[in-house]
Amino acid sequence: MPRIHLLSDHLISQIAAGEVVERPASVVKELVENSLDAGAGSVRIELEAGGKRRILVEDDGGGLGTDDALLAFDRHATSKIGSFEDLERVATLGFRGEALASIAAVARVEMLTAEASGEAYRVRIEGGRVRVAEPAARGRGTTLEVASLFFNVPARRKFLKTPATELRRSVEVVQGYALARPDVRFVVTSDGRSVLDAPPVAAGPEGLRQRIGQVFGSALANRLVPLEDSFPALEDESGERIHGFVGTPETTQGRRLFVFVNRRLLRDRSVLATFYRAVRDEWRSDQYPALFLFLDLPPEDVDVNVHPQKAEVRFRDPGTVRGLGDVLRSGLARARGEVPAPLRSPADGPRAPLAWQGLGERSRDGAGEERSWLPTVGAVVGEEVAEAPSPLYGTGGGGAPGRPPSTRSDDAASQAARLAAVAFPPVERAAVPLSGRSGETRPFRLLGQYKGTLILLEGPDGLYLVDQHVAHERILYERLRVDLAADRTPSQALLTPMLLELAPAESLRLQELAPALGECGYRIEPLSGHTLAVTEIPAALRQEEAEKVLLELAADRGEADPEAEGGVEGLRQRLLEGLAASLSCRNAVKMHHVLGAEQMESLVAELFRAEQPYACPHGRPIVLQMTDADLERRFGRRK
Amino acid sequence: MEIRLDRAEFLTELAPMQGIVERKSTIPVLSHLKLQARDGKLHLAATDLDVSLTSWCEADVALEGGIAVQAKKFMEIIRSLRGEEVALTLEEPKELTITAESSRFKIHGLAPEDFPTLPEVDEASSVEIPFKDLKRMISKVIFAISADESRFQLNGALLKIKPESLELVATDGHRLAVVEADLEGAPATDGEPPSVLVPRKALQELQRFDGKGDVAYRRGAHHLSFRLGRRELICRILEGTFPDYERVIATDNDKQVVFDTRRLLESVQRVALLTGDRARGVRMSFAPGQLVISAANPDLGEASEEILCDYDGTSFQLGLNPDYVSQFLAAVETDSVRLDLKDENSQCVGHPVDGADRRYLCVIMPMRL
Ligand SMILES: Nc1ncnc2c1ncn2[C@@H]1O[C@H](COP(=O)(O)OP(=O)(O)OP(=O)(O)O)[C@@H](O)[C@H]1O
Ligand SMILES: [Mg+2]
Repeated sequence: MPRIHLLSDHLISQIAAGEVVERPASVVKELVENSLDAGAGSVRIELEAGGKRRILVEDDGGGLGTDDALLAFDRHATSKIGSFEDLERVATLGFRGEALASIAAVARVEMLTAEASGEAYRVRIEGGRVRVAEPAARGRGTTLEVASLFFNVPARRKFLKTPATELRRSVEVVQGYALARPDVRFVVTSDGRSVLDAPPVAAGPEGLRQRIGQVFGSALANRLVPLEDSFPALEDESGERIHGFVGTPETTQGRRLFVFVNRRLLRDRSVLATFYRAVRDEWRSDQYPALFLFLDLPPEDVDVNVHPQKAEVRFRDPGTVRGLGDVLRSGLARARGEVPAPLRSPADGPRAPLAWQGLGERSRDGAGEERSWLPTVGAVVGEEVAEAPSPLYGTGGGGAPGRPPSTRSDDAASQAARLAAVAFPPVERAAVPLSGRSGETRPFRLLGQYKGTLILLEGPDGLYLVDQHVAHERILYERLRVDLAADRTPSQALLTPMLLELAPAESLRLQELAPALGECGYRIEPLSGHTLAVTEIPAALRQEEAEKVLLELAADRGEADPEAEGGVEGLRQRLLEGLAASLSCRNAVKMHHVLGAEQMESLVAELFRAEQPYACPHGRPIVLQMTDADLERRFGRRK
Repeated sequence: MEIRLDRAEFLTELAPMQGIVERKSTIPVLSHLKLQARDGKLHLAATDLDVSLTSWCEADVALEGGIAVQAKKFMEIIRSLRGEEVALTLEEPKELTITAESSRFKIHGLAPEDFPTLPEVDEASSVEIPFKDLKRMISKVIFAISADESRFQLNGALLKIKPESLELVATDGHRLAVVEADLEGAPATDGEPPSVLVPRKALQELQRFDGKGDVAYRRGAHHLSFRLGRRELICRILEGTFPDYERVIATDNDKQVVFDTRRLLESVQRVALLTGDRARGVRMSFAPGQLVISAANPDLGEASEEILCDYDGTSFQLGLNPDYVSQFLAAVETDSVRLDLKDENSQCVGHPVDGADRRYLCVIMPMRL
């Protein structure tokens, strides 16, 4: 008996479908794309049980003739490309001719379509087979109804999440297209209730701002600065254009970062890395404001055929999006209310193609997390420190800090003493005995502050550099963890509810989390489409902090699922992370902030009382040490 | 400038200046006091740019003139001197000589022109408010003003002049204090009575005024003026919208319990000793005839205390922040208080029993413990 055999066509199409259709949101994505490709001016989406029971997408686009309506469900049947050359310059959202076939393989599908009113046609397909095809009545446009998704693939069905989670994901998808196409009306209802209704708006930046307001509420829309203001000539011969909005510093809560390449919403790390770098350069901050960035490029410069769900693209030429960093920096400067530095206009001579760093190889290094000045410290400290097993490294696993290895000979000690006497100005402040949690006392003497960023300490065994910002973050984090570790976090009711203005998907996300949030001291109630009322907050938090944490949670798109997060415990953990992040922003002393001697001393004293004084909640180091031996080696006093 | 003046009177007028002067200001002139001799008087002024205070003392003015002097040092000197009389002389433009009995100080100062021009309130008509009423009212709400600087519209109290009464309201989002007292001769207005947000610092300094009589209150476009005798306090109006507080106050709290104020205050404070630093809460368990106040803290231990009371409804529990309760009880001034309650999810509304004011209440939002 041969063990290898050919798969049936039906099985082949189900396997292929798996690439395209993962969950209701992927069906919504494909159907909405088809409607937009068909030139729809209005797209209406109905969801039942989060799309698990039924998804309906109705448009007023071009529709299909009778023959095409049947062909549309064949694999690799498309009207959008015809040749390999066409694939090189895809201008439509779809091009593979795979979506409808894939969906039809795993659900009960009915299409009602008309090229002109009075010429409608109905096609019903079940498990890949045409069951009914008959004339019907409908005005111009297409309605696709997808029922019982995965009815014939129980294994897939099992992997679907709760209706609430699936609904939220579909709404996220629609929101993305609503931002990409302000000229199109989008309506979403869930089990008969309206979730989103965005009427079409005028073309141009103000229209886009209105659309953002329809999705996220007017508070955000009013805090955006257009990106292209100072770049009237950006739409040059090459046909590339950068436009959109960047938020003012008030918009750093909520991680609203959206990048569209040729009207496709993408999660492109390289573009985001450029943005993160621009924020750090321009604002000297690692708090990122809202971003709605649109890159319109000639279709041949972008390869969209690299991801089964088209969630990624590849730029044919890494230098393609020239000047993106400049555009972002100038937008950021204006968003912070500063006059932008005069920019070279493209007419002033040949524009050197700015290398767009961060593309390709470096695109996966999560450049957004690094801090701009750390390399400098690293350079000062040198590789020896990184290699030498110092107590400041390697304690990352938790527990009490280890004792520094005593490697010093008496000779070295006397040298060190001499060194200290020579290198540092006379003692004016007594050494502060800072006792660690383990009870050990480390007599540190405050030497001062470096560039408003690092606290310098003379320790018994070397020079210590403390990152004031992450140090403070650590202290606050531990304080809050203790409060939140109680069985149930005490909550404080608010006199007047705190109102959160959110996009529908963000609001749905918080409602999904409501039970777990309740355990953590929150109570939330949906008020209207955009607004959520918070009536109780964890008593340990100030209102502003409590708000920040909620916005962080609301901003989790896609993958984060309440179940996957391990329920209440997981959420508590997430709350803490959200807190640490939020506190690092507002409450922790910032980088480039001058501190008085007493402030530095108390910060350091409290840091060494922390359980884990050497690494911040994100795992970044808080303290660096240059041992006396390191110093001596560098000064050539020792080999 | 060359003047002589009564030291005791001078000290009385200097004292309230202290609270106004910015101690840690980055603008040096704000740590100074302005002295100006004119028309038989020595005029004094202090400001932090948001709140300013002016006053004057009788003086023998031989030669008019002025100077700004470092406030803290100057007050220390005047306080330390002996004798009933002080002489102030400007020998050189920025050198002030202070003499009393056999002591002689010569201190450096700044030109009076360097002192900021103080805002003026040009509204002529004023409302007269008895100072003792105003002071009492401030003390009944000031503790509820928010310390959270990011919510600046709550960093002050709302002052509302009604046809026959004056109302002062403060909240920090967790509690709300409202006090209303009769006021004669308030100007009649059509529609919504005028209200304004007064910053906390201005209220604090007003509270420190002493004296009898009425405070003349005037409201300008951006500033408010409070004048009592020689003193005039001018503050910037806090911009922002204040919550619609009347709608927040529960009217259906059907469980009313009366307590001895002192007894309740002391009990709450005692039990609160065993609450943590953050997220403080005490449990109030009501049962027929008694209230049990308790607290538990995983690090510290537990505490509880029983108080007999006239409660006769069903048993229920309520979490409250003990600081909020104590601050109200400390401010209420009557021997008994009445708490209006409903259930564990509803606010606690405290009232005085037979208070001096037309209305005083403090809403405290519950905690879930
Ligand atoms: N709503 C619609 N209105 C008009 N025509 C449609 C609509 N939906 C699908 N079609 C037609 O059916 C064809 C097949 O659609 P399908 O989504 O399967 O493939 P595609 O959009 O061409 O490519 P992709 O698989 O990349 O989405 C399309 O090329 C289009 O001609
Ligand atoms: Mg398609």
